Amino acid sequence: MESGLSDLLSVSIDFGTSHLFFPTLITWIMAVLFVLVVATQVVPFLAAVKRGERTLPIVGESMDGLRFFGTLALIATYFYLMTVVGDMFPYTGYGFLFVSIPFVFLMSLLYLHEWTSKALVIVTLNAFVAPSLAWLILAKLFQITLP
Amino acid sequence: MEILSLLDVTFFLLTALGALVGIVFGAIPGMTATMAVAVCLPLTYALGLNHGLALLLGLYVGGISGGMVPAVLLNIPGTPSSITTTFDGYPMARRGEGERALKISVVASLVGGLISAAVLFLFAPLLADFSIKFSYIEKFLIILLALTVIASLSNNMLVGIFSGVIGIWLSLIGDYSISDGGNGKTRLMFDFMEPYLFEGFSLLPVLIGIFGISTILLEAEKGVKSDLTDERVKIGKGAGATFSLALFKGRLTNLVRSSFIGTFVGMLPGVGGSAASVLAYTQEKNLARDSSQMGKGAPQGLIASESANNALTGGALIPLLSLGIPGDSTTAVLIGAFTLQGIQVGPLFIPENAETWYVMMAALIFANFVMFFLMFYAIKYIAKVVMVPKHILFPIIVMMCVVGAYAINYGIMFDVWTLLIFGVLGYLIQKVGLEVAPLIIGFILGSQAEVYFVKSLESAGTLTIFFTKSPIAVVLWLLILASVVFSITMSLKNRAKHRQELLG
Amino acid sequence: MPVSKKTIVGLGSAVLMTSLTYGIGAAQAQEGQLRGNVRVVIGSTSTGGDTYQNSSIVVDQLSEKLDINMKVDAVGASSAFRTLDRDARGNTLMIFHDQAYLGHLYGVEGYADIFEKYTIGPTVAINPGNAYLVPMDSPYETLDDIIAAVGEGETVRVAIQPGGVSEIGFSALKNAIAIEHPGQEDNLVAVNTGSQSDKNQLLFDDQVDLINGSVQANEQYTRLPEEDQKAMRFVWLTARQETIQQAPEEGLGQTTREQLLQHVEPNVHVTMGDDETFTFDKEFFFLYNKDMDPGIVEQIDEALAEIFEEGEIQEAQKSAFFIPNFRPSGEASEYLEEKRSRYAEIIENIQ
Repeated sequence: MESGLSDLLSVSIDFGTSHLFFPTLITWIMAVLFVLVVATQVVPFLAAVKRGERTLPIVGESMDGLRFFGTLALIATYFYLMTVVGDMFPYTGYGFLFVSIPFVFLMSLLYLHEWTSKALVIVTLNAFVAPSLAWLILAKLFQITLP
Repeated sequence: MEILSLLDVTFFLLTALGALVGIVFGAIPGMTATMAVAVCLPLTYALGLNHGLALLLGLYVGGISGGMVPAVLLNIPGTPSSITTTFDGYPMARRGEGERALKISVVASLVGGLISAAVLFLFAPLLADFSIKFSYIEKFLIILLALTVIASLSNNMLVGIFSGVIGIWLSLIGDYSISDGGNGKTRLMFDFMEPYLFEGFSLLPVLIGIFGISTILLEAEKGVKSDLTDERVKIGKGAGATFSLALFKGRLTNLVRSSFIGTFVGMLPGVGGSAASVLAYTQEKNLARDSSQMGKGAPQGLIASESANNALTGGALIPLLSLGIPGDSTTAVLIGAFTLQGIQVGPLFIPENAETWYVMMAALIFANFVMFFLMFYAIKYIAKVVMVPKHILFPIIVMMCVVGAYAINYGIMFDVWTLLIFGVLGYLIQKVGLEVAPLIIGFILGSQAEVYFVKSLESAGTLTIFFTKSPIAVVLWLLILASVVFSITMSLKNRAKHRQELLG
Repeated sequence: MPVSKKTIVGLGSAVLMTSLTYGIGAAQAQEGQLRGNVRVVIGSTSTGGDTYQNSSIVVDQLSEKLDINMKVDAVGASSAFRTLDRDARGNTLMIFHDQAYLGHLYGVEGYADIFEKYTIGPTVAINPGNAYLVPMDSPYETLDDIIAAVGEGETVRVAIQPGGVSEIGFSALKNAIAIEHPGQEDNLVAVNTGSQSDKNQLLFDDQVDLINGSVQANEQYTRLPEEDQKAMRFVWLTARQETIQQAPEEGLGQTTREQLLQHVEPNVHVTMGDDETFTFDKEFFFLYNKDMDPGIVEQIDEALAEIFEEGEIQEAQKSAFFIPNFRPSGEASEYLEEKRSRYAEIIENIQ
């Protein structure tokens, strides 16, 4: 009986496949929990949606599509162009500097609700000053590698 | 005394400068204490050992403390160890109590820093001998104990645990690192991902992506309304937001306990910094008489988190100076300051370099005070950050997150993309009702849990080893059990209360 | 002295020739020279480790000599290789050590055949510190005791980090046992672990009998009193005797060169068969993108040759317990390839 228990608890891990041991365990736990969550939370929730008491997340909600997808697109372009421009001037941080300026400018414009001339001046100034300052201090003074 | 002659004006100026620069680094989302120390490391060659250490220790203390600022005001942990500060700090800031929250945090930081410095000074060699009693098995149990916070932290226990497990799962992506003793093989991904994900996702980009970028996405979805800004203006002058030391009344146990937990976790090599504040937070949640407000803006959560993460500084220096082994990622960089000067750190460091040792202690204590005064009196102005209009603030946050993510591993572009990936993921997670805090805690602790768990089994070959290894293991099991029982009763109580409310 | 026409013509043409060659040389140099900012990625993520320390000594000198901005970035092996792969312009260089090819020999993911995929640059230094240690109260006095014990069927457990520099000494030891006591080599068991602290920890816990370590990281442990649980003893330094002989006389910490020499060949003999003794020097060298302009290879070779001639760098290296070891690119490549083939044999033997 006792040996049965210790057999049950004994585990032998082969070093060559040890990288899969823990992930497999976690994947199984995750799968079981997923089923439980679906059964206890998602099913009742979907039923409520069907009855019209709740709405689906994201699709069923109102959304400022322009600002949301604009943000996503801007960030993705920002990251992408940073590498491209940075590659033209290797390890100078210019990629960061030159792409950050238009990025900060455009994102500010995207979020700005009332385009008054005063606000636009501040936005423009900020778009030039903030990235330049960051670049000067971090890339030049502290010599942090930037794209 | 000769040591006094080493403590010249330059020494104090450098420590203060270090603390100031450290605070700034810590306060910028994405920049961390580790980065501050790494960036200034080359300077120490010119400064000499004592002056160099003064600067670096100032940076270390300042950097860890500075992390509280964005955690409280923007809900973005400035350093990974201030993650638990967001849980209560941000809700307080939303209520217009940002300044108060920051002041509580600063005081807690000072106490934590000083307690750990005292422990370091008095017991370093003794504690080093104690810390080597912790093998893989005990370290796994400590991680497990920290993971139990997930259960008590979540609104819905099942969903919370599920989120936590997802976090662990995500942390396992990449190779089973050779430097942890793994076999270096990758898992949980397709071949085409290997060039990018070989080392998995880095913690810092994940953290600032899931907190910073996803917050911006959620705001963008709502149209970045400026009226929210008005609500936040309260922070500067909110009623009832005054701070007084009376807030710490009845919190002394918490303060001291958390400081000791922080010191202790810092001292265990490999367990790492973020676990310190998580563990302190768990214990406060479990042991406090009333912890029902924790996570909704309770000062006690801030006290636990901030005293523990500053206590880490002294704790992490214990194994560094008495075993030659860094206790966390920042001290791992700090070790470079010694090697650059040709000084060995190891079990004989303190007896053989008494002068340097006293100089370091002086710098550590002085840095804590400088940090305190700089922060305490600057908070009024720092808290105004939230009054900056969002259309100015958000692009700058994104930009600084990019710098932080890119710089954390000394220039890896994929870390920047990680920001976006986890920004979107964080957005989706919150939308479908999964819980962010448990997920991120799972992510932080997951890979360590793996190494310690698998390595324990590899050498012992049986699960019983976790119970029979040592008295320390038994104590840890009792703590884990207590923590689990506690969170279950808490959740049952809450459910009963909820039901009563519905009925009544 | 009358100067003949012939001489003048000869001289003139010589001047012309020289200036021509110089001109062409200069033009070529313009083409194939480092320019802009140069980033040196290293195969380690630690800024406290030997790779970073050694690289920063070399890169500091090089950047001064060439008068360009150079910076060391501790990105780690897999990222370093990938960054190098993408940049053939010479703005990215890499410094790493024997792990670069040992990783491939041990079949670790992420390591390619560096001799095929990259241009091997100059070697710059040796870290002579690779060592093996036992607890102070270990029954094994010397490495010979261990070889003999394993030969008699005793199990000896060794803590190493798998797949590279830390494992090569273990492999050599296993190979030596296979040669001297055929069939017994499986009694030498590797316990795979990670950092130095993990290895030390296993020794403190009595989970292993022998650990891989280094003079730099473990020297203080060897000077602890015997009753201290943490006390250790060196039993083997894998470096060549002539390498250690170049170390400063005062050695490291309070362990003198004389004491260190007791733990290297021929005092410690790990056979490779045919009277050959196994040694391992951890050498640091440059790696370049295969398509990088050969002019840059030459430029760095020349600059380093000058730096090593001036002699200042040797002082810096020695004071950090590195052994200066400059070999220009071509020579280094041949030498390292030969070194690899020797270790490849060992690894094949014990498989």
